Amino acid sequence: MNEASMIGMLSTTVSFGALLYLACIGELISEKAGVLNLGVEGMMALGAVTGFLVALNTENPWLALLVAMIVTAAFASIHGIFTVVLGAEQVVSGLSLTFLGLGLSAFFGKSAVGNPPGAILSNVDWGPLSDIPWVGPILFQQSPMVYFAIFVGLLTSFLLTRTSIGLALRGAGESASTVDTAGYSVVKIRLAAVATGGALAGAAGAYLTLSITTSWQDGATAGRGWIAVALVIFGAWKPGRAAIGALLFGGLLALKTRLQTFGVNFSPILLSMIPYLLTIGVLLIISIRARHRPSASPSEIGKVYRREER
Amino acid sequence: MKRLVLVRREQPLRGGQPLSFLIGLVVALLAGILLLVASGHNPIEIYERLFNSSVGSSNAWAKTLNRAVPLGLAGLAVAVAGSMGLWNIGAEGQILAGAMMAAWIAQIGEGWASPLLIPLMLIASILGGALLASGPGIARAQIGVNEIITTLMLNEVALRLLQWLIHGPWKDPESRGFPLAPLLADEARLPKLFGRAHWGVIIAFLVIAFFGFIVSRTAWGYELKVAGSSGATARYAGISLNKKIITVMVLSGGIAGLAGGIELSGTSDRIVEGVSGGYGFAGIIVAALALMRPSGVAAVALIFGAVQVGGLSIQTLGVSSSVSTILQALILFGAIGAGVFNRYSLKSVKREKKGGST
Repeated sequence: MNEASMIGMLSTTVSFGALLYLACIGELISEKAGVLNLGVEGMMALGAVTGFLVALNTENPWLALLVAMIVTAAFASIHGIFTVVLGAEQVVSGLSLTFLGLGLSAFFGKSAVGNPPGAILSNVDWGPLSDIPWVGPILFQQSPMVYFAIFVGLLTSFLLTRTSIGLALRGAGESASTVDTAGYSVVKIRLAAVATGGALAGAAGAYLTLSITTSWQDGATAGRGWIAVALVIFGAWKPGRAAIGALLFGGLLALKTRLQTFGVNFSPILLSMIPYLLTIGVLLIISIRARHRPSASPSEIGKVYRREER
Repeated sequence: MKRLVLVRREQPLRGGQPLSFLIGLVVALLAGILLLVASGHNPIEIYERLFNSSVGSSNAWAKTLNRAVPLGLAGLAVAVAGSMGLWNIGAEGQILAGAMMAAWIAQIGEGWASPLLIPLMLIASILGGALLASGPGIARAQIGVNEIITTLMLNEVALRLLQWLIHGPWKDPESRGFPLAPLLADEARLPKLFGRAHWGVIIAFLVIAFFGFIVSRTAWGYELKVAGSSGATARYAGISLNKKIITVMVLSGGIAGLAGGIELSGTSDRIVEGVSGGYGFAGIIVAALALMRPSGVAAVALIFGAVQVGGLSIQTLGVSSSVSTILQALILFGAIGAGVFNRYSLKSVKREKKGGST
């Protein structure tokens, strides 16, 4: 294992980690408000294809990112309307959203398969910082989306814990009737949370096609949406812990393609089981500890709120 | 100023769900027309092909029935868990576990006669699915771990295990580098019923009918529903919740596992990555459309089977087979949307001046 391959591996860890983190924070916001959305994989795929197609036609990567986020926010709102307003089961609606997103992205992406990208989000040059050995290439020669992910994580953490919006959001997921009594609209908070979650999953998808793969093919998201769902639990619904998890899971994704170069005789396929097994382990620990203290999971997740049935 | 509000009906509409399902189907087909027209296809030609290739001939029916088998069994697996208020999102992984177990028995029993080998394979597939679902069941019963997440995660674990097998230990030496397990021996393949339709159709029908009976007609099934609607009532009535949770998850996993065994032995003939075909996830939609009732599962599975077979056939007309995936999701959303009116009626009320609420 030489220096260059080690740096490459760590740099990929950060970029994959940021991708997972963006989608994870989106899901976290939605779950904190009480709405489980299992549509992440589909939203990510739709964001990926939308970003790629807009970039192809406009050659403007930032416009592509913006459109991808708007489209997936609207797309996620299908789930929002069905579960929050119409009271559909969150599990079923979310999975159908994954179906719909994967289907739509394959349908509209068909013409773009094999195309070179119209535009990409090129890596940020931080001047002298980018030239620092090791640290430069790993932290300061990344796609702008990496810094966006860090910003989103910090902002979410701040909003959730320090502001009244965050309090209302957490309230919608913990005790909806209290939030309602306090004068907030539970329905509006939940709808906004789901749409925000969709926008972030879409940003993760656009990041994939505009910076990482710079191409589109069916199944490009390759189950990363599910890892993002796992990451929310792994991070115990906390943005800070989720960031550590994102780097860990991102590291495992980066290691997967490099095991052979590092001369490790272990199946990369079995390695990719680890995030899921770790998540189950963390969930077990959370559940055992929840017997003695308040659970980390939002208590009204999955429940429909109807004022008249309070 | 007037606004519309949803008011809960005292009783859900009778016969509302089949109607909602039909509305969902119509909505999905209409949306499909829009999608096809917008992308420059001829919707009439495509729907005609979709229809003919799925139900237009006995050959088409055979394909549709074969697809309805794993869909129906996966739907049943979800419905059995769902009748107790549990979510088995892991049918996809349990199908894989069932298929892997059946393939393993087929390897061990090389040269055995079909009447011995096939039942053993199917029993092994049931055990495989049950084993994979037992973990989430025990964790839910003993420490209250959310079974939605554990079953979901185990899907990915089972998929990786299968990928590892077909890239490594089980890889067919004659596959020219493709990750495939060797073809099953003829003795390990389910006999045909008619055309390409195999005996799995009969097995699935019997299993669905059996569970339909015990869920809706026996004390055991009644206890299940009581336990699902109120844990406290169940405890009061002396129903052991923990035991029920584990039993139901094991049964649910076993049913999904059987789907994997039948799919391997009847249709795919070898372990490949797509052996579970997304049936586990589609099964959740099937069960939801059937309102977790086994009797409805069979009917919905048949229609979904037809949509999937039709979806594959329109590829030759230059349309992405993803149209079928889109249609399936739209059927569900359409049906949920229509289904709201089974439980609620729309009333227009005057908006109050301030903070207008009902």
